[in-house]
Amino acid sequence: MNTKAEGPVPLLAARDLVKTYGGNPALRGASADLYAGEILAVTGPSGSGKSTLLHCLAGIVRPDRGSVGYRGERLHQLSEERLSELRRTDFGVVFQFGQLIPELTAVDNVALPLLLAGTARPAARERAGEWLERFGVRGQQDQRPGELSGGQEQRVALARALVTGPKVVFADEPTGALDCLAGEQVMTALVHTARECGTAVVLVTHDDRTAAYADREIRMSDGAVLPAEVTA
Amino acid sequence: MIAMSTRHILLGLLAGGPSHGYDLKRRHDERFPQARPLAYGQVYTTLQRLVRDGLAEVEGTGSDGGPERTTYRSTEQGDRELARWAAEIAPPAPFVTNEIFAKVVVSILAGGDPAAYLGAQRAAHLERMRRLTALKTDPGADLATVLSADYALNHLDADLRWMTTTAARLTTLTAEVDAT
Amino acid sequence: MRTDLRLAWELTRGSDRREWWRVGLTAAGAALATGFALAAVSLATLRGRYGIAVGHGLLNEPGTRSGVIAGLLLLLIPLLGFLGQCARIGAVHRDRRLAALRLAGAAPAQVLRIAALETGLACLLGSVLATAGAVPVLLHLWSAPTALTWTGFALVAPGVPVLGALAGALALRRVAASPLGGVRRVRPASGRGPGLLFLGGALLVLLPAPAAMALTSSGTPGVGAGRLPLTLIGLVVTVGAGAVWLAGAVSGLTGRLLAPRARSAAALIAAERLRDDPWASARTHAAVLLVTVVGTGFVGVRQVLLDGLDEMRRLHQLGTDMTYYTTGLGLTAVGILVAAAIVLCGLAVGTAEALATRRRGLAAQAAAGVPRRVLARALLLETALPLVPSVLSAGVGGMAIGVGYASAVSGHGTLTVPYTALLVPPTAYACCLLAAATSLPLLHRSVRPAELRYT
Repeated sequence: MNTKAEGPVPLLAARDLVKTYGGNPALRGASADLYAGEILAVTGPSGSGKSTLLHCLAGIVRPDRGSVGYRGERLHQLSEERLSELRRTDFGVVFQFGQLIPELTAVDNVALPLLLAGTARPAARERAGEWLERFGVRGQQDQRPGELSGGQEQRVALARALVTGPKVVFADEPTGALDCLAGEQVMTALVHTARECGTAVVLVTHDDRTAAYADREIRMSDGAVLPAEVTA
Repeated sequence: MIAMSTRHILLGLLAGGPSHGYDLKRRHDERFPQARPLAYGQVYTTLQRLVRDGLAEVEGTGSDGGPERTTYRSTEQGDRELARWAAEIAPPAPFVTNEIFAKVVVSILAGGDPAAYLGAQRAAHLERMRRLTALKTDPGADLATVLSADYALNHLDADLRWMTTTAARLTTLTAEVDAT
Repeated sequence: MRTDLRLAWELTRGSDRREWWRVGLTAAGAALATGFALAAVSLATLRGRYGIAVGHGLLNEPGTRSGVIAGLLLLLIPLLGFLGQCARIGAVHRDRRLAALRLAGAAPAQVLRIAALETGLACLLGSVLATAGAVPVLLHLWSAPTALTWTGFALVAPGVPVLGALAGALALRRVAASPLGGVRRVRPASGRGPGLLFLGGALLVLLPAPAAMALTSSGTPGVGAGRLPLTLIGLVVTVGAGAVWLAGAVSGLTGRLLAPRARSAAALIAAERLRDDPWASARTHAAVLLVTVVGTGFVGVRQVLLDGLDEMRRLHQLGTDMTYYTTGLGLTAVGILVAAAIVLCGLAVGTAEALATRRRGLAAQAAAGVPRRVLARALLLETALPLVPSVLSAGVGGMAIGVGYASAVSGHGTLTVPYTALLVPPTAYACCLLAAATSLPLLHRSVRPAELRYT
């Protein structure tokens, strides 16, 4: 990426983020850009601040210092309400596990963001079903997360993250709890859909094979993003 | 990396029925994507050696209106040799030859910058992994492509993990190499 | 056994804050239970007429004394429910730990013993404190307690911890059976276990009550007061037996009916949770039911009784001072209010516990953009929805007691319908919602993204 100077305007731009958790600095001046439609891998050893950077970019966590810009808005200045709305409409999130409501069926889990946005339940369920179809888990639509395999659960989670047609999907170790094959199927499904829909993806992973699905990689160490020359 | 036997691969391709040199090369490249493509000359010399050793024989010569082509087929001895080879286990990494490690050590001995070298090597590995991943996630990719890309990806990943731990222990390594 | 005791002690000592909270609440519940039981025992060992300095002479007569004893013993029911609720705090954590013990090679019986000892130790703490407090009070009020009283004390003080330990063993028996039980997500097929536990406990408490009353009332001929509490107890047990089952069944039914029809996200989440585990809150809801029945019934009976007494006073047929009756009624009211407070505490504790176990999931929901108010609404709906039919039926049951008493008293003449009792069910309902709402601040803390860090 040597065309930054005259290149397109980034969709998300984090500048000099600092975040401390109970005295432990998680981020010490991290900066990163995300461009529309690109898949960006964030790698680095455990505790290097990958997840915290993702949380800041997604507006889940407010940085102590620094700023995150998204389409002319400054995320850290927005109200909690507006941030929630943004996360519902413009962002999707996939974590290692636990993002599905255990009591809801797969299809209701996927329909949830639509319901929250005011879509009527039958229409929401129909659209959710289409997305489950797309990820090959339509047959499991009436099962609850506990009854699904890890790979199926993550594909349902992907469907939930993408059902609102977000601009960015944030994935934090989405294959961390999966075996190789299931992980590969999840990543392939994510990459295909993101490319098809033009969705940008922020992919936090400690696994280089998973990072290789991205178009670009930034590497973190000690709460900062390493300069591009080191990671190329 | 286990040394590939072109002899046995050609014998294997012949097991499906008589075939001529150009056809064998085309089928090889198709069956083993991402492998180094076979040169026609190599196919030709290997076939001649197979005939010499009694593992294959000339079926006939035809032209089909084009250039003249010799068709080969496998012999019974060839089938036996193929079965033996296919069942034989590949020796798991008999020698540890690691060019990257050699370069790191040489770099320390010569007073170079092993960390910078490892960083650059890492970037090159990652770039190759991204290419291979893009290839296998292409919607049109067939399973053979996916599997051969996976093979390479896993080896590159192993190299990368080794480089990461080595980079983290360079200071100790430098002290050790300099001391002896 | 000594190793088990030692392990139980080490486990309790090394556990986190949430565990200490459980220990504290269990001890407090056990202390209250011991206190009530000791008071009941002391009163039950009195014979004939006495001049007692407390209670406006209410405790002087054997007949009314038996009513007070019954009340004290009845109070043990909500306390039992509360202790059960406390056992649930940190249940997931403890389940895991005990399953880990099993994996490490502990025999099923041994794990069961350790679990029982853990609860027993907490109860012992409460029981010791309560007994230590009760002995000086008793000596102060009663110059020469009989040997029977001391025997009663000696039975109650260790009895409460033993009962607590048994409850703990019963609650954790599933884990003890399987080393993987706590690690995998296992759900009881029905609420029969806790329901039976509750009923068994209730019977255990209720059975001695008539015996104790018969004991105290002996020698006093023809006291009608003895029959009234018996009738009340019968009604309460009948309504209460159905309560546990009803609460669970209503929760499940509400969930099943509402889940396919829910239009909003909050209603959908609440309905699916109810459908998924209708027995989760059955115990607390059953206790709410019971208290509502008793409360409604009491307010009804009180109104009818007071009206009757007023009538008698006007006709100058009243032999005793009016305060004798009002003190008795007041004491009963205090008892019911204490029971209600215990039940509401149990409800609040239960809601908070449910939240704490789901903490990480809730944080993930919030991170995914589910607004907090939707999560808060789902939480309240989860309590509010199944309580509507429960409280309604409890109100009907309570009214039946009031009206039944009124018609029994009036016999001839006009029937006074105790309308004031109608106020009790809605008040109980509102209090339940408030109790559930006390955990909302905890929800706000739970959905903090920092929770995402702890996987």
